[in-house]
Amino acid sequence: MSATTTKTTCPYCGVGCGVKVTVPSSQSEPVPPVSGDIDHPANFGRLCVKGSSLASTLKSDDRLLTPIVDGKQVSWDSALDSVSEKISQVVKDHGPDAFAFYLSGQILTEDYYVANKLAKGFIGTANVDTNSRLCMASAVVGYKRAFGSDTVPCNYEDLELCDLLIMIGSNAAWTHPILFQRIVEAKKQRPNMKVVVIDPRETATCDIADLHLAITPGTDAAVFSYLLQRSAAENILDTDFITEHTNGFQGTLDKALEVTPDLSSAAEFCGVSEESLEQLARLWLATDKSISFYSQGVNQSSSGVDKCNAIINCHLATGRIGKEGAGPFSITGQPNAMGGREVGGLANQLAAHMDFATPGAQKLVQRFWQAPNMATENGLKAVDMFQAVEEGKIKVIWIMSTNPMVSLPDTAQVRRALEKCELVIVSDCKAHTDTTAMGDVLLPATGWSEKDGTVTNSERRISRQRGLLPAPGEAQHDWWAICEVAKRLGYQSAFSYRSVNEIFVEHAALSAFENNGKRDFDIGHFSQMSKEEYDALVPVQWPVPKGRPEGTKRMFEDGRFFTPDKKAKFIPITPQLPINKASSEWPFTFNTGRVRDQWHTMTRTGDSALLTKHTDQPYVEIHPKDAKMLGIGDKSLVRLISSVGEALLKAKISQGVAPGNVFSPIHWTQQFANSAVVSNLIPQVFDPLSGQPESKHAQVKVEAVNDVSYGLIISAKPLSNLDFIYWCLVPSDEGYHYEVVCPEGQSVDSIQSMLNKEEDGGEWLEYTNPTTHQVRLANVVDHKLTVAAYLHPKPESISCDWLESKLVKSEPLTDLDRMAILVGIPSNVEDKGEIVCSCFQIGSKQIEKAIAEGVDSVEGLGNSLKCGTNCGSCIPELKQFIPIKADLAV
Amino acid sequence: MLNSFPSDSEHLVIIGAGMAGSKLAHDLIQEGNARYSVTLIGEEAQVGYNRIMLSSLLAQNITNDEMALVDTSKMQDEGVNIISGDGAVNIDIEAKCIRLESGRIVSYDKLVMATGSRSRMLPIPGSDAPNVMGFRTWEDVDAMINLAGQQSVSVIGGGLLGLEAAVGLVKQGHKVTVFHLAEWLLNRQLDEESASLLLKRMEQMGIEFRLEDSPTEFIQSENGVVTHAICKSGDKIDANLVVMAVGIVPEVELAKVSGLEVQQAILVDDKMQTSHQDVYALGECCEFDGQTFGLVAPIWDQIKVLINELNGNGGRFVIEPTPTKLKVSGVNLFSVGRIEPTQEDSCIFFKDVGANHYRKLVVNDGLLVGAILYGNVADGSWYFQLIQNKTNISDMLNMLVFGEAYCLSKVA
Repeated sequence: MSATTTKTTCPYCGVGCGVKVTVPSSQSEPVPPVSGDIDHPANFGRLCVKGSSLASTLKSDDRLLTPIVDGKQVSWDSALDSVSEKISQVVKDHGPDAFAFYLSGQILTEDYYVANKLAKGFIGTANVDTNSRLCMASAVVGYKRAFGSDTVPCNYEDLELCDLLIMIGSNAAWTHPILFQRIVEAKKQRPNMKVVVIDPRETATCDIADLHLAITPGTDAAVFSYLLQRSAAENILDTDFITEHTNGFQGTLDKALEVTPDLSSAAEFCGVSEESLEQLARLWLATDKSISFYSQGVNQSSSGVDKCNAIINCHLATGRIGKEGAGPFSITGQPNAMGGREVGGLANQLAAHMDFATPGAQKLVQRFWQAPNMATENGLKAVDMFQAVEEGKIKVIWIMSTNPMVSLPDTAQVRRALEKCELVIVSDCKAHTDTTAMGDVLLPATGWSEKDGTVTNSERRISRQRGLLPAPGEAQHDWWAICEVAKRLGYQSAFSYRSVNEIFVEHAALSAFENNGKRDFDIGHFSQMSKEEYDALVPVQWPVPKGRPEGTKRMFEDGRFFTPDKKAKFIPITPQLPINKASSEWPFTFNTGRVRDQWHTMTRTGDSALLTKHTDQPYVEIHPKDAKMLGIGDKSLVRLISSVGEALLKAKISQGVAPGNVFSPIHWTQQFANSAVVSNLIPQVFDPLSGQPESKHAQVKVEAVNDVSYGLIISAKPLSNLDFIYWCLVPSDEGYHYEVVCPEGQSVDSIQSMLNKEEDGGEWLEYTNPTTHQVRLANVVDHKLTVAAYLHPKPESISCDWLESKLVKSEPLTDLDRMAILVGIPSNVEDKGEIVCSCFQIGSKQIEKAIAEGVDSVEGLGNSLKCGTNCGSCIPELKQFIPIKADLAV
Repeated sequence: MLNSFPSDSEHLVIIGAGMAGSKLAHDLIQEGNARYSVTLIGEEAQVGYNRIMLSSLLAQNITNDEMALVDTSKMQDEGVNIISGDGAVNIDIEAKCIRLESGRIVSYDKLVMATGSRSRMLPIPGSDAPNVMGFRTWEDVDAMINLAGQQSVSVIGGGLLGLEAAVGLVKQGHKVTVFHLAEWLLNRQLDEESASLLLKRMEQMGIEFRLEDSPTEFIQSENGVVTHAICKSGDKIDANLVVMAVGIVPEVELAKVSGLEVQQAILVDDKMQTSHQDVYALGECCEFDGQTFGLVAPIWDQIKVLINELNGNGGRFVIEPTPTKLKVSGVNLFSVGRIEPTQEDSCIFFKDVGANHYRKLVVNDGLLVGAILYGNVADGSWYFQLIQNKTNISDMLNMLVFGEAYCLSKVA
């Protein structure tokens, strides 16, 4: 049998790149590095470093392999029985809203579809929300308010075709690298294309920016409010478009004039110079082909929806929508956030882009599903959902493929909620996450390389994600687990899918059911497709109604929207600052984001050592002036405290953040660091319309952590009882690498006991140096290094690769290696061998070398090495070396 | 008795044919000396052997033939008059002549006292027995080697010599107990931790140790032979042989009776001259600047100085600090300088018990002031140099204990 090559899609960001994976015929062979699919319209063969490293995440490390109930491995039957019995009981005793699904933009459209169907049609609750709430809920509501539907108008080509690209709250260089590379390439081809970045931070994306507006956090809406009034003032409005295709313009313009009457007030509100805002205005006024490209910096805000509409207002007013290279373009963060939106997998959606409020929608869906218990109103959005869990209103929650213990704001609240919840079901492919730690029932799920179904990227493109590898252990697809529970709840006929394509076909049929062009989301073309056709599905942008198999590149080209009167709506916007304001108690404004080579909570990217080379530890970026004022050195430990919690992070001193502002990436969980979950710091403040948390904003105080030692530990085995002030697991190809911080002068004994259990035994090597405050320890068992720790007073780097190479797999350690391990660098010391002449410290290897070079007497050795010429007590031993040569000569 | 040397040469007599005396005679001849005829007088039967090797001889790591420090027959061929087994008993400084045990009289023009030292014998009750001995001479070793059957031996003193004696005896199958008054072995060269490594190693060889202990009495049998030792605790242990290894006493009796000025040992100046013109002293029997000598390095220096003096070439003896480099039955030890830190000192440690490797450096104000190395002593000479040269080691502190190669590659 030969290797097979399969096309699938990348599981990371919302770009949705096509990936080609070659799976060797033998399961014992590793999967070779993946390559980009040159036929995929998202990436045309390119991949970012995360995507390129996918093969290195195909490890079986820490997979959840069997169902677990209350800490014990059980059969699937038993686990599914427990789950369904409990759901039946709480629904019977407390009503359907005592149950909730908390889903994820990582599950596939088909998984999402059956979860939504089970909850909203059969259990009878709309408590179906998802981590997409944290990502683009504001964008959804923004689009719906303006267009009557959650419709992304643009496509990726538009990014290349535009003449002005305004990137708002997006560090695409790191978060959507392939789209960014397409932009970079386009700008190179057409140097007249302008790029403006609006972001409080100077990010990597600013590298290609012609203009960077480092606005005061949260003031984005004012920029666009000002652009709207300038558009009117300078007569670049598309009055025909406004008249024929929109409502509410005048009131919106009036509001813009009221809140941003002139350049100076707008610039002042946004905290930027008048010159830079004027520069942006001139670019906007002069460029028809303008794209506003926005992401979490806009969405994760207490006024995120308003920010979206402030942006959309500008495009509607200038008719820069539904055209090549123009439009308000929301970019999602997850591989299938869009798929979730399409099936209605959010608490404020019903199904297939219908809402509870859509006239007739509930009946339509009920008819289609033949649903016995149709939910009738919106369910609870993520933050409300977890508050309801804490309040005891929700008694069973099924969390699927997401890590709310890390991603939801106010981790302490989430913990309280899950501790209180009667039954927490967690479906995941990983055994150990911060959230599986809270689960009563753990269900082993298939992961990216095993899952089979569809995903939709940020440009509405549906692509197949294909199973490449067999599911390990007893792992099952999420849709299967949901259907099995549904059947046990008595809904056999509605959930008896034989394979995943049947779900997709039903989903397609619902999208077309009684649609007739009323709803944007219509993929009716697929409503009768065969399994073969499904398996061969090529990437296509929806809508794909019957008769339009090629799909739809761009929306609203006809100026018709999905409101009852087919007109788009202007929304008057009053720019708002974030809810929490700086105070003397909480002087620093805290912002969050991502690093280039990690994704979300590192459950997948954390498996790749390569991906940690870029940024190995959680950090807080702080301006040099603030760092100096607070006595914080680069890479030193810093404590961040907010009103709801705290975090310990390494300082990264950088002018990329403004004074008074600090920034941290979101990725590190308790699996990787003891106190680096930045959601700990974020209060549960959210946009009242979208329910999206203001995850990019908290007010904090910043403290240096003093009187500590910094350290590095490498270990052949994972260490479980690390009682340090700070520790961080840095993924590594060999063994386990931890960065730690402990109190100055922590005793050697206490460190030893953390590194090694008594039964491990072995020999300890120890180096203590009070003059430099260095402590280094290593444990050796059977001449193999098992663990080593290095402590020093300041953060410093020790070359880990060499040390890691000395972990148990390597050759037995020589005596010089043993010392070199505590040095931390390879031994370049001449190996003298066993010392023979004590007086002159001449060793056996030196003597052998001299003899090999022709010395043939003890006197000769004395002449060349001085050995034996002082006390002479080594002369007998020296003599013994001489005949060795004679023997060799024979 | 008249000398058989040509009358035009001066007669140089060396009393003591131990390491210092033999080497002086040897080196003087080697230099192509024509000025002196040389007579070397030794009380021991064996002349010119390497006393340091007695331990190896006892441990039977070497043969008798390998004991030679100098080639005595060659020296004799070259005209050195060697008198062995006939110690000097009297010197007439005025008459410039020496009387030997045999009654023989040797006259001299110039005299060198190289009488060395003797084992220090503790005055423990009952120690006046034939089976209580020192460990100093070839004879002592012969006595130990010829010990019949399996005996119980008490070694008094856990210094270098005592340990070597213990190792040699235990290798011969005897049951050996070492008494050591201090808390740990080699307490002048090692700290507690390195000594405990050594102790473990010695115990593995089958030697028993009684630390902080010394016999209070030896029990003798009716025929005046020690049979038991009484410990401080009152314990009574078998002892068929007692070896005292509690240091040395400079042999100065002859010098004293001859009227040479003596304090701890024979006083010499920086040309090795005693209180009397034409009389010199060197080696373990001499005292210079308040110090006596037990290691070879300064004594070899004294030989060079003295040869220059005898040849009228000048040259002065200065005391160079000497590190202790020891080898106890295959274990290398190195110790130099201040090994017990004062309050102002800091100690840098490297410990690898599994590999029998231990290092302790004592530093003070940017200077290395002391070092103990156990196991791997390769960097000993370098540390010694750093101490000697008062090298500022402030920039090397984070690598210092790992040795020269690491420090120099870092500093370079």
